[in-house]
Amino acid sequence: MDKKYWRSLNELHSTPGFEEILHREFPVAASEYPEGVSRRRWMQLMGASVALAGVSGCRWEDEKISPSVSRPEGRIPGVPQKYATFMELGGLAESLLVTCYDGRPIKVEGNPDSPQNRGSSTVFAQSETLSLYDPDRAVGVVERKEGTRYARDWQAFLDYSDTVLGQARQGGGAKLRVLADVSSSAARKNLQEKFAALYPQARWYDYTANSRDNIYAGSKLAFGEVVRPHFDLSKANIVVCLDEDLLSEHSAGMLHTREWAARRDPAAGEMNRMYAVESRFTTTGLAADHRLPSRSVDIGFYLAKLEAQIQARLAGKTPEAAGDEYAAKVLAAMAEDLVANQGAGLIAIGASQPAELQARVHKLNEQLGNVGKTIRYSKEPLATDLSAAEALRKLTDEIQAGSVETLVILGGNPAYNAPGDIDLVSALSKVPHSIHLGEYEDETSLLCKWHLPKTHPFEQWGDARSYDGTLCVAQPLIEPLHDGKSEVELLAILCGDKHPVALDLVKEAVKGSLDSMAVNASWRRLVHDGVLKGSALEAVSPKVKELPAAKIVEAASEELELVFYISPQLYDGRFANSGWLQETPDNLTKITWDNAAIIAPGTAKNLGVEFGSVVKLILDGKSIELPVYVLPGQAPNSISVALGYGRTAAGLVGGDVARDVKPVGENIAALQSKAAMNFAVGLKVEKTGKEYELAITQDHHSIDAVGAGEIHGRVGQLVREGTVSEYKSHPDFAKHVVHHPPLESLWEELSYEGQAWGMSIDLTKCVGCNACSVACQAENNVPVVGREQVLKSREMHWLRVDRYFTGDDVDNPGVSIQPMLCQQCELAPCEQVCPVAATVHTDEGLNDMVYNRCVGTRYCANNCPYKVRRFNYFNFNKVYEDPNRKLQALVLNPEVTVRHRGVMEKCTYCVQRIKAVQIDAKNDQRPIKDGEIVTACQQACPAKAIEFGDLKNEKSLVAQAHASPRSYAVLAELNIKPRTAYLARILNPHPSLAKPDSEGHGHGEAHAEADHKKTAEKH
Amino acid sequence: MASVTAKPIDTTIEVPGKRTPLVTGAHDYGTVTDAVCRLAECKTPTAWYVALGISASLMGMLFGLIGYLIITGVGVWGNRSPVFWGWPIVNFVFWVGIGHAGTLISAILFLFRQNWRTGINRAAEAMTIFAVICAGVFPGIHIGRVWLAYWLFPIPNQMSMWPNFRSPLLWDVFAVSTYATVSLLFWYMGMIPDLATLRDRATGKIQQFAYGLFSLGWNGSSRHWHRYERAYLLLAALAAPLVLSVHTIVSFDFAVSQLPGWHTTIFPPYFVAGAVFSGFAMVLTLMIPARKICGIEDLLTNRHLENMTKVIIATGTMVGYAYAMEFFIAWYGGNRYETFAFINRAFGPYAWAYWIMVSCNVISPQLFWFKKIRTTPWMIFVVCVFVNIGMWFERFVITVTSLSRDFLPSSWGYFRPTIVDVLMLIGSFGLFMTLFLLFCKFLPMVAMAEVKSVMPRPGGQSDHH
Repeated sequence: MDKKYWRSLNELHSTPGFEEILHREFPVAASEYPEGVSRRRWMQLMGASVALAGVSGCRWEDEKISPSVSRPEGRIPGVPQKYATFMELGGLAESLLVTCYDGRPIKVEGNPDSPQNRGSSTVFAQSETLSLYDPDRAVGVVERKEGTRYARDWQAFLDYSDTVLGQARQGGGAKLRVLADVSSSAARKNLQEKFAALYPQARWYDYTANSRDNIYAGSKLAFGEVVRPHFDLSKANIVVCLDEDLLSEHSAGMLHTREWAARRDPAAGEMNRMYAVESRFTTTGLAADHRLPSRSVDIGFYLAKLEAQIQARLAGKTPEAAGDEYAAKVLAAMAEDLVANQGAGLIAIGASQPAELQARVHKLNEQLGNVGKTIRYSKEPLATDLSAAEALRKLTDEIQAGSVETLVILGGNPAYNAPGDIDLVSALSKVPHSIHLGEYEDETSLLCKWHLPKTHPFEQWGDARSYDGTLCVAQPLIEPLHDGKSEVELLAILCGDKHPVALDLVKEAVKGSLDSMAVNASWRRLVHDGVLKGSALEAVSPKVKELPAAKIVEAASEELELVFYISPQLYDGRFANSGWLQETPDNLTKITWDNAAIIAPGTAKNLGVEFGSVVKLILDGKSIELPVYVLPGQAPNSISVALGYGRTAAGLVGGDVARDVKPVGENIAALQSKAAMNFAVGLKVEKTGKEYELAITQDHHSIDAVGAGEIHGRVGQLVREGTVSEYKSHPDFAKHVVHHPPLESLWEELSYEGQAWGMSIDLTKCVGCNACSVACQAENNVPVVGREQVLKSREMHWLRVDRYFTGDDVDNPGVSIQPMLCQQCELAPCEQVCPVAATVHTDEGLNDMVYNRCVGTRYCANNCPYKVRRFNYFNFNKVYEDPNRKLQALVLNPEVTVRHRGVMEKCTYCVQRIKAVQIDAKNDQRPIKDGEIVTACQQACPAKAIEFGDLKNEKSLVAQAHASPRSYAVLAELNIKPRTAYLARILNPHPSLAKPDSEGHGHGEAHAEADHKKTAEKH
Repeated sequence: MASVTAKPIDTTIEVPGKRTPLVTGAHDYGTVTDAVCRLAECKTPTAWYVALGISASLMGMLFGLIGYLIITGVGVWGNRSPVFWGWPIVNFVFWVGIGHAGTLISAILFLFRQNWRTGINRAAEAMTIFAVICAGVFPGIHIGRVWLAYWLFPIPNQMSMWPNFRSPLLWDVFAVSTYATVSLLFWYMGMIPDLATLRDRATGKIQQFAYGLFSLGWNGSSRHWHRYERAYLLLAALAAPLVLSVHTIVSFDFAVSQLPGWHTTIFPPYFVAGAVFSGFAMVLTLMIPARKICGIEDLLTNRHLENMTKVIIATGTMVGYAYAMEFFIAWYGGNRYETFAFINRAFGPYAWAYWIMVSCNVISPQLFWFKKIRTTPWMIFVVCVFVNIGMWFERFVITVTSLSRDFLPSSWGYFRPTIVDVLMLIGSFGLFMTLFLLFCKFLPMVAMAEVKSVMPRPGGQSDHH
């Protein structure tokens, strides 16, 4: 058979062109060289072009950046490297160390060299990798003309800005305005000055939803100048927080937590005592020894009482005996403690409180001799002439008056979070030339003529200062993914530099702080370290001026107040598109994916509303509908609502109305006003009759009386708590909370000859900030499941923070928290019941989960008494398969398996980190040092409440913690031998407020521990 | 002529000195054969087609949902943390329980020479097989990765990976599959002589071939009968312990774990009693309408019904005792978690389910103390439907209530079934009814050969059979 085979139509028809190609070994050019070029030269040219072809495909950075920790000769593929950088929130930097795999940032940790966080990190920092790869980030330059969106490039913008700015310059910039997110960048400041020189008539406004204007105003009132207070909790025996979340939401929260926690070890000396007077339940209130719920508006009332008490005591008078009322007792105890600890106490007041109260607190601290000891002042570099709200008001008025032609918005999202009485939204559309630089095409971008993509903090050079003033420098960890430019670069462009080099701008700006003899070397050092040691702000010692007499504040009225607060999860809304943060349960309410009107139980009763009823909050004629969350401990007649929700153009996660994605929660900024940015009285609440189901991760349903009674009886066994005096008389009281017969195993137990990994969690130190939980999510590729699945209790967090209310008073309960993760039981109940042996024990005592083997019977989870096993009910990682959202997959940690649907998963004690250190140690032929292996949760914890290591090494911190008299295992009576020990929480109540010690410990003189041992020996 | 009277007699009265006949009406061997075979031979009534149509649609829905489940993931059910096992396991235990009556009737009652069993054993055994099929569906599709379900079997493989023999789920796999196999063999073997009868009477080619194939060349010779009866006895002896073992092992799924409310030693006997209880109730639920429709009331008399109600009182009372004993031990044991598990059952958020269970399982069978109720078929039917409901709820209470509130209150939850859960349960009844309807139509519903053996011999005295 003579069959004809052909490869293309050209061949079939034997076109001459094809015949020619056929006879060439290489298509075009390669097999012939042009005349007049020597063969040698030709080879050189070809070689070079081949090499260059490769180069053009690379994304490696052009500038030199320095890896931290070690600096190998070259990049070793697959070996992660850490680089220092920072993220800035509210103008304050958090120095970070980012782990990169082959040039891909995948995990954020705090910078251990930073005096602020010492290696710990906030939830916001943890989620930065997720936002880096967020497919919803703005891609490229966009112009909007008459409602139509056009994709442009930077050249188009440059041409446009030439015209517009050229015109502006002629008028001295009289009709040019800049609205910028607050920043402490020196590079930005330099350019701001250059900008001011170029456009002398232009005005620059700073805006942030999380303003500290009251603090500035209070300081000005007290000292005549704006200073920044720095608290030293390591020296404070007594800490009083007035509507101030010193441990978490304060910009130096991590430092405060660390110092506070260091003073919470009853074995290491005198413990500090913390009081909190606050409207909503904060992390600080949760950690405090005494908490007094009070409306925010009543803080002045309580402060006046406290002042009176203190003055009386300072004057040597015995103050009148405190009444029976709890509030009076707390205030008396506070005053007594503060006066007894002069120079070793501190009073902090929240940024929500008015200037007058701020000033009086400064005065009190001075009187008590705390200044210079527990409180230090420095200059406030971020102070502005106008408050944030005033700045926005002024800008809006100017626009309305037609005196703004060009508006540049640097970062931020003012169209979303402007207070309700400032109509920036309608004003923006009146600006002929408006330019917004932002990471997302957000609410503000939609109203501006141009949107410019902003670089992510990990894509840019930058500098900023942390709260204590330490200089931080950021280096780009990856080339801008979406053609973005940083604020500094855009400013330089506006100042006429068309091709700015951010590296030079930043270097130039921080030059003053570098060693002038070796600028380059110290610059490299600075980039490597991420922080400049010893660059903290210099202390100043201002004196409090004579203050106007305190206004007599009448006692609490019955009026309802509305408190606005920056969301601990979404901040001012900028993290709304982060699934990790949306799904992080609030540490008190446990709400995910929503904000709610948080109401005290008594107030809810008065209003006739219940958990989940939707109410209409009416303030000054404006209203918003929100579901009710009844929170024990919320101040009566005070309703608090988180800002940062209700984003309409955040993205597919946080809400995007244009793409038919419902906003998450409600934007409460509409009820804010310039005069009442933090709280407002005169709130009206109307019932709507509607119901809404909040996705909460604990108490998924309301608990009935039977359950509530049992929880009440059980919590004391699970989260063991005592007071300092109990600890002193019975240091091992925690071991005697539950008594059980001697425990014996049914089968031969494993003997551990090598290492035995264990963990300890100190409940005295833990403040429940959630950093561990998000760090775990980032490290271990823990999927986000969404609101619908959280409603079905299918959230996947390997580490959750359990929260229990204690005490009999629903209006002022205690709160016990307990981070709960796989306890790595030696006699693991999960292992015994798995029919396919998918969960097994290692010889180092880890309870391993073999994902490949798991068929998903879920029996292990049923048998787990801690319920820390998580099941993939669906393919929760499907989002990575969507071709449009593929970018997101880059966030996954290559060291950790991405789990399939139908598979069980749980905490592994970060086995990948253990193995990495083990391999290193083995290669170096050395033993593993204690503290060398750091789990993700341990790393993130600002309180250093988590220890991890080898229990066989008696000197290891974890072995010492296990040996502590306070250590106990949860549910040890089940004979499952958990490897995680908890250290009982010790509270330090004021003697006058302490409840009498509980009588006995359930056993007589003979200590059961000894008894148990004896009995066990007999067997 | 046989001394059967045309006048209907009340078989529920014991006349001293006389044996009450097990077959009433004017029946001889021929008429019994006619009565039973008529079902397979007569023109199929429309009602059967309608019933089959409904059942088969429901069955189709079940398989459709299983497809949906496999494509989407087990999250289509209401299972959640901490209730990792929900309705599928409830349904599994429920159906396995139903599947107890058949083998008990045919094996244990056979060994105890309870001749009245002959009227009901075939249908009861068939029901057992069908219930076990329904039960078998659920654990298979319940696992997260259905395509790997075979890993539960000890199949030699290149990884040398064996299942974990410490896991009660593995024991369960063995127990249920053994039970299913033995029950099927027992049922089929017992049916061979009757299949041969059908073969002999069949007129259609297909029927002749099919019955011929399955009757394995039975010719009724003495040798055949001899071998048959030996084998039947042996299988009965083999099947008898399985009746006890299978639900004992199913109960181990719960009892061997350490969950409060599951971890109790009373579970094995309690589960077996519950299984027999629910199985008998299901037999009655099915047979009361079936004997009427199929016209076999003479073979399945009120006396049969009454005997079964007596078993129901006995086992129902045992179950009631177990409920009470669980509470007593929970209190007496002094374990706070266990005490709470039971208080929570009765007074917690699932109290409604608990009290449905108690009223259906403990209170309703007590009505059988009244002879009037014991002997009135429709009343028995009503009570048995309640018992079936109650027994489903028992499994729901054990599985879901215990799981919903275990040790750490932080993870407590409330289970809500999804529409898929509900439709799958309904679908499993569709599967069951489809199989049962096919059985009624094509197979001998009553063991003819055995019934004849308890009838008066032709020409003999009715008192001396």
